[in-house]
Amino acid sequence: MPIQLDLTDDQALFHETTARFIEAELPREKTREWHERPEGFDPGWLAKAAELGWFSMLVPEEAGGGSVSDNPLADAALVAEELGRQVQPGPFVPMNVALAAIARHGDPARRAELVPAGVAGQAIVTWAATDAAGDWDLGAGVTVEARGDALVVTGERGHVQDAAQADWLLVAATRDGEPVRVLVPRDAEGVTVTPLATLDLARRLAHVRLEAVAVPADALVGGGAEALWHQHRQAVVLNLAETVGAMDELFTMTVEYAKDRVAFGRPIGSFQALKHLMADMALWLEVSKAAATAAIDAVGRDAEDAAEVAAMAAAAVGEHGNELAQQCLQVHGGIGYTWEHDLHLLMRRIQSNSVLFGSPTWHREQLCRVHGLGEEVTR
Amino acid sequence: MSAPTPTAEALEAYRAEVRAWLADNLPERQGPVLRAAHEVTPEQLAEERALQAKLYEAGYLGITVPKEYGGQGLTGAHQRIWQEESARYALPAPGGVASHVTLGIVLPTLLAHASEEQKRDWIPKLLRGDELWCQLLSEPGAGSDLAGILTRATRDGDVWVLNGTKVWSSGALAADYGICLARTDWDVPKHRGLTWFKVPLRDPRVTVRPIREINGSAEFCEEFLDDVVVGDDMVIGAVNDGWTVANTMLTAERSGGAGAGAGAAPPAAPRGRRRLAPDLVRLAEQRGLERDGATRQLIARAHISDWLQGQLLKRIGAGLAAGQLNPAAVSLVKLRTGIHDPQRAAIAMEIAGRNGIAWPADDDAASAPAIDFLNGRIMSIAGGSNEIQRNIVSERLLGLPREPSVDSDKPFREVLRDAKSWGKRAGS
Repeated sequence: MPIQLDLTDDQALFHETTARFIEAELPREKTREWHERPEGFDPGWLAKAAELGWFSMLVPEEAGGGSVSDNPLADAALVAEELGRQVQPGPFVPMNVALAAIARHGDPARRAELVPAGVAGQAIVTWAATDAAGDWDLGAGVTVEARGDALVVTGERGHVQDAAQADWLLVAATRDGEPVRVLVPRDAEGVTVTPLATLDLARRLAHVRLEAVAVPADALVGGGAEALWHQHRQAVVLNLAETVGAMDELFTMTVEYAKDRVAFGRPIGSFQALKHLMADMALWLEVSKAAATAAIDAVGRDAEDAAEVAAMAAAAVGEHGNELAQQCLQVHGGIGYTWEHDLHLLMRRIQSNSVLFGSPTWHREQLCRVHGLGEEVTR
Repeated sequence: MSAPTPTAEALEAYRAEVRAWLADNLPERQGPVLRAAHEVTPEQLAEERALQAKLYEAGYLGITVPKEYGGQGLTGAHQRIWQEESARYALPAPGGVASHVTLGIVLPTLLAHASEEQKRDWIPKLLRGDELWCQLLSEPGAGSDLAGILTRATRDGDVWVLNGTKVWSSGALAADYGICLARTDWDVPKHRGLTWFKVPLRDPRVTVRPIREINGSAEFCEEFLDDVVVGDDMVIGAVNDGWTVANTMLTAERSGGAGAGAGAAPPAAPRGRRRLAPDLVRLAEQRGLERDGATRQLIARAHISDWLQGQLLKRIGAGLAAGQLNPAAVSLVKLRTGIHDPQRAAIAMEIAGRNGIAWPADDDAASAPAIDFLNGRIMSIAGGSNEIQRNIVSERLLGLPREPSVDSDKPFREVLRDAKSWGKRAGS
């Protein structure tokens, strides 16, 4: 059953089609083939996924996008949830939020060139959002300077998803101290991509160094700080939908195992020590679903409290997700510690997601900032 | 239930009628409505009963209760209109919590299980405020294991004689009657020898005493039943079928008493922007900790947990209404409350620091963290402890197997006997 309860018929159909596509194309057992390969995924598979609309949802119709309901973020969250369940590779979250930003704030000519190719899965666009250490800096670690008619981009971005496979990087940067975004071709001179070893075996992250990379003036994507924050919230929401999908899958797996596995002459799921633990886990999962649903709604509508709700949901899901995954391993015991078992794939994804767009601690601090706690206020 | 679906026009007309009646007849609410029954003088109680009678005569009590039992026989839509419109008025609640128990818990139980004659006789009195009821349910030796009660009802000719001790009854000092669970057969398994009785609390053979709780106040009572005699007309449901009735009652209790009664409306959701856990921010500011990183994390944790409570309730409510969730999911809300409350109280104490353990004697507000600390485990114990909710979630929601039981299949008399030799047996 999907995380969001009140789906339209179109959304329900879309969700089902998505799940069937993943099952047919790249079920969890097949993703293992890609774990060893540095590129992480097959671009041909990405183009097939694009035919289902995976990269068009956050792009407005007039820019060549479109979605199945009037809350595109909710639709994208339906995909994200399934990506989590099946621990899929690929740049779903960064590519969607990057295309959304380009479609909305990019130069018209560049938009016309890039967005349709991205929506069709022909061009891979990723989002280089965080500083060298992987922390959100609102673009502070990269500067954009004018040089004649062109722009020069210098700095570092960390934890950039699928940077090695990408054709384009949408880089969070600053120009004259103001947050901006700038489009950089991955193969431009001065761009160095250094892949990192990752906890999540299906997720490629890389360090990106930009040494005086020259780009044309129309590479600038506007919108300012608020647009960057909005983009971050979108990523946070899709990321947590993915996490909750992974949690749901892992917990279902664990309950089934507890019913099947016999010890001391009984299914281990009949022991109160494990039943009570699993009741708490069921609660963490249900609360996470409630939080994710609220965040999808608030950020999708760009509601007044979107920043607060996204921070609260991310902190809650991040924390509950890791607790849940740990206890799923505990219930499984030794079998869950084996490489062959899928448990660790889900556990790795959940932990990785819980820090990718800000850790629970970071989101709690954001919550305090949103409320102005500790700041001087004029009453 | 069988009332025809009203038209939108009919509902709007009803709303207008309700609105006008409320404006003419009731004052607007000033403070919280709940308080302990014994803080009320007999004069106040009589006044509140008269006000409830007025409400009843006007047709606003028992809105969904069938007409033959003194109700209005209207739909849930009418009930919701009443709740929305009356939310800001001071509704009569004679005996405070006693009124809520009577209408929220006892009324739905009687509607489901009392005989036709009993319903026609009792329910109008209960709606009118003439009869306030309480529950005589838990005992000193039986709380979570409710079916393990020891109060006995013994047959003596054509009457029943009740003996035993009941405890944790809310509103018993104001109440006229108690709905009492007693054991009527000791030679069958524990769930199969229980029966419900209507017991008159003004009977000289019933002693009602307030219990002083760890927070110093006395919301609950204990009752001693010494040879209380009642007739067959006071038996509710079938003899020895009390567990069926108990399940109805516990469901009504866990769903917050949102039954067919007066329908105390839930507090209105705060409008506009949320404020960051205002009580905790104030405590932090009192100690100059509003910029302290560790304190900010605690405040954020508590605020998020408060928010999650509301989101979970919203999700489960919607999921149940749409038939998308298993009814046992209600226990998730109860369980989370039982976990959240003590954690929330502990955070407040941590932030309050020394201000939480000593405060100016004339500053009542400053005692809030201490009171919350003492009350933090109410919901984790009352109405089915956290452990009972975890059993319900794991068995009914997740479908995990039951633990082997040592008491559900043998005569209760043997259960009591075997329990005494438990230590000797277990070690051998």
